[in-house]
Amino acid sequence: MTIGRDQVLHVAKLAELAVREGELDRLVEQLNRIVDYVAQLDEVPGDAPADPFLPGPPSVALRQDVPGPVPLTRPPAAFAPEFADGFFLVPRHGAMEDL
Amino acid sequence: MSWETVVGLEVHVQLSTRTKMFCACRTTFGDPPNTNVCPTCLGLPGALPVPNAQAVRLATRAALALGSSVRGRSVFARKNYFYPDLPKGYQISQFDQPLATGGRVALESPERGRIEVGITRLHLEEDAGKLVHDRFPAKTAVDLNRAGTPLAEIVSEPDMRSPGEARAYLVALRQILVYAGVSDCSMEQGSLRVDANISVRRPGDARLGTKTEVKNLNSFANVERALEAERLRQIALLEGGERVAQVTLLFNAGSGQVKPLRSKEESHDYRYFPDPDLPPLVLSPEWIADQRAELPELPDARRARLEIAFGIPAYDARVLTSEVALADYFESVAAAGVEPKAAANWVMGDVMSTYNEGGTFPVSAERLGSLIALVRDGVLSHQAAKRVYTELASSLGEEPKVVAERLGLVQVSDEGALAGWVDEVLAAHPAEVERFRGGEAKLMGFFVGQVMKRSKGKADPKAVQPVLQEKLRSG
Amino acid sequence: MSAGATAARETGARLAAADAAGLNATLHWSQELLDAEGARVDAMGRPGPLAALPIAIKDNIVTTEQPTTCGSRILEGYLSPYDATAVRRLRAAGALIACKANMDEFAMGSSTEHSAFGRVKHPIDPTRVPGGSSGGSAALVAAGVVPAALGSETGGSVRQPASFCGVVGVKPSYGRVSRYGLVAFGSSLDCISAFGRTVDEAARVLSAMSGHDPLDATTIDHPPVAAPAPLPDLKGLRIGLPREYFPADLHPGVAAALQRTEDAIRQLGAELCDVSLPHSRYAVPTYYIVAPAEAAANLARYDGVRYGPRKVGPGGDIRALYQATRGEGFGAEVRRRILVGTYVLSAGYYDAYYRKAQRVRALIADDFRRAFASGVDLLLTPTTPTPAFRAGEKTEDPVAMYLADIFVCAISLAGLPALSLPVGLTEGLPVGAQLIAPFFEDERLLAAAAALERVVAATAEVGG
Ligand SMILES: [Mg+2]
Ligand SMILES: [Zn+2]
Repeated sequence: MTIGRDQVLHVAKLAELAVREGELDRLVEQLNRIVDYVAQLDEVPGDAPADPFLPGPPSVALRQDVPGPVPLTRPPAAFAPEFADGFFLVPRHGAMEDL
Repeated sequence: MSWETVVGLEVHVQLSTRTKMFCACRTTFGDPPNTNVCPTCLGLPGALPVPNAQAVRLATRAALALGSSVRGRSVFARKNYFYPDLPKGYQISQFDQPLATGGRVALESPERGRIEVGITRLHLEEDAGKLVHDRFPAKTAVDLNRAGTPLAEIVSEPDMRSPGEARAYLVALRQILVYAGVSDCSMEQGSLRVDANISVRRPGDARLGTKTEVKNLNSFANVERALEAERLRQIALLEGGERVAQVTLLFNAGSGQVKPLRSKEESHDYRYFPDPDLPPLVLSPEWIADQRAELPELPDARRARLEIAFGIPAYDARVLTSEVALADYFESVAAAGVEPKAAANWVMGDVMSTYNEGGTFPVSAERLGSLIALVRDGVLSHQAAKRVYTELASSLGEEPKVVAERLGLVQVSDEGALAGWVDEVLAAHPAEVERFRGGEAKLMGFFVGQVMKRSKGKADPKAVQPVLQEKLRSG
Repeated sequence: MSAGATAARETGARLAAADAAGLNATLHWSQELLDAEGARVDAMGRPGPLAALPIAIKDNIVTTEQPTTCGSRILEGYLSPYDATAVRRLRAAGALIACKANMDEFAMGSSTEHSAFGRVKHPIDPTRVPGGSSGGSAALVAAGVVPAALGSETGGSVRQPASFCGVVGVKPSYGRVSRYGLVAFGSSLDCISAFGRTVDEAARVLSAMSGHDPLDATTIDHPPVAAPAPLPDLKGLRIGLPREYFPADLHPGVAAALQRTEDAIRQLGAELCDVSLPHSRYAVPTYYIVAPAEAAANLARYDGVRYGPRKVGPGGDIRALYQATRGEGFGAEVRRRILVGTYVLSAGYYDAYYRKAQRVRALIADDFRRAFASGVDLLLTPTTPTPAFRAGEKTEDPVAMYLADIFVCAISLAGLPALSLPVGLTEGLPVGAQLIAPFFEDERLLAAAAALERVVAATAEVGG
């Protein structure tokens, strides 16, 4: 199983990661190294248990519907990169309606 | 040659909880931006989700109300995509193991009469935040108050065959969810949102045509309009020998047109996987049974009961059950011991028009009951009663009888008073009197009308005639 | 001067010295904050079980006073508006937050060379690595700067550096310590864990911060870990030696140190027996599918929209903002793992990788269940195949770096409690032995380790 340049670029797009010029070839090589390495799981017979292993509780404990969130010791304005009139701001972009 | 339209709907309803799906922030609508937020719904580093028990209860109720089977074990999954209104870079939803599957919604099709539309699945998920595009130049503003609000996503089978059926489905679905107390389903406040999938094919064709998805449908009427526009667009393409591309379209309510958004080819790969922060949601059969037992009476059941218990026409029963409040009001008016059909007419008439305007009932059911009784007992004419009703609507808790007397609308059936008006009428119309005596019996109606006129509607028509008869024969 | 204030002064002096010596183990601390902590502790009504104990906190555990960067540019200067549950509980128990400790970026690494703020040096040999990803915490305890520290484990990130640095590192059962406020890497694996100079110190820290937390749906409703009274001996205990963990090519010094540990265990009256964990050989490849997949989603929130430094990017639109902020904010190893994680979850590959890994994970966990069910009370293995390696030795080959965790990964996948205990030196470098207990038998693990700790000569050369 090998990953090509296009595939790496496609995955990078899904992950919203800019891949720097010249970085790509090395990345392709390293990802192939890793993916070939993990591919050894194919040796394991397929008759393994179907249910995924869960380390935590067998079922989720629910929260009562009572207001009282964890308080913020500083407001969003204090940590937001761009903030105005109570809003986080981002650049507007053409395809913004694109859901 | 004709075309068959195939429609399936995805409906998101906001569940009526006090707090969000995975954190204890309030879900109140219209607060200042980013004030109902916490580490979890802001997607801050290290924050974790904990599911809201009430959201699970309401979604379960919704599923049971739709006849879906609720799974004893469902799994929260992460739906991965980047968008500024999505704080974590993934939405917590349910994927291959949803809360409920199956179910149906019965409705009156404008074309096919009574039909059933199948429900594919119902699952729990969290809402995204709100984006404001027009407030800052060249910027989009992000408000995360809504982020994390609990939603139930209800996916229908592609069982609808016209835009009208799609609208009827939405009306019926909304009614069921409101009856079940799951959501207020207000499209204005965005607590009910619709995405539509539509395709066309030749009648009898087993295969479905290529479907498109229509978004941004902000009212039931617009769902119908948008689907009609898209139906015609697809047919035009096919008849022009072209093929339909699998695209997402936005409906522009202004122009009434749909415009393509993006083709599925370049659509996202959501990379769903079970959310490791959330163990499976396990619901015991006993708990599910309890939820079923607690379900209130649903629209179909109530419609049938009103029809049978009060002997009113099916049409009346459907109108009266269109809103829970209306049905409740009707039942308490009828309980006041008046003739149910009369009560139905009043509720579907004056009461419904005021209710549709203000969403309230200015006249208590008891008072309307006694008003209707006054008409039944001949104390008030129907016309007079309508005037009394309007007066009651604005008056502070006066009794109908009192208002009727204050307005001098109580009918007069006292011989003496009637004789006075009759004499005046006969004196004023000697010619007609002659003709009547000459055998024109049909003039009786004319004389009654004149008496009513002189009495300003107070004279009891039933009592007027014998007096007229008497006076016309004599003399 | 009262205990808290004194501890604050002395700790500050040791931190300053360590920084001056170029250990590069701290990311944020100040004498003012330390003094404030000291004053707060002195003002407490009752001193609490950790009275005036200075604790270093790995920089992926959020604190409101100091920045929390996870050793990454993408969170440079980030001040959390809330405290992690573990931090709240430690402070309530009377501990002082001493500093934030350096780490591999987002805990992705086994050498603490992958910190955006420079590598941490091994306290004994600066040309070597302290292990990782909790290398800063381990180095600070080993260098005697703090008696205890918090680290985090996803695949051995506390036990492995504990072994390299010659300190005690304890990973609790998954679900025993709240993850609320631990910056997520692999959520189904992540465990806040404790370093101490001794088993007792680590156990006391663990005890103070463990227990159910309504803010973390993966914590288990079970009483906190009770710091156990050390056993006088190990009579009646059966300790299994999984043969897959003692390969022929095991470093001779490590092998000798483990041999000496086995002898000590026999002297204490415990019985040793062979067991097999056949699927453990797949632990590292399984881990390197599960952890990156979860990480790819967990790290999606670092998008430059709500917090952290923002890079606008060429296009100036939202996509360019995302790609520049993330592309420049994340280091090479983090970017690699995000790409791998995205790949194994993407359409057409999910079954071949992620689903498969989930199945193998279940088999690995089942091996342990079976071994313990066969009447074994604890398992003993080397913590690492070699002592601390040289800086730069494995940075070129990611897989070679991954293999440094070959003996610790399986335990994380199975969610079991385990610890690394220093059991000797080889060529002057510490060697750790790993003890593994059944799920939620953390107390048994700690009690046995405390007994063993008294008899093994942790600071004696083993030769080999
Ligand atoms: Mg949805
Ligand atoms: Zn919140």
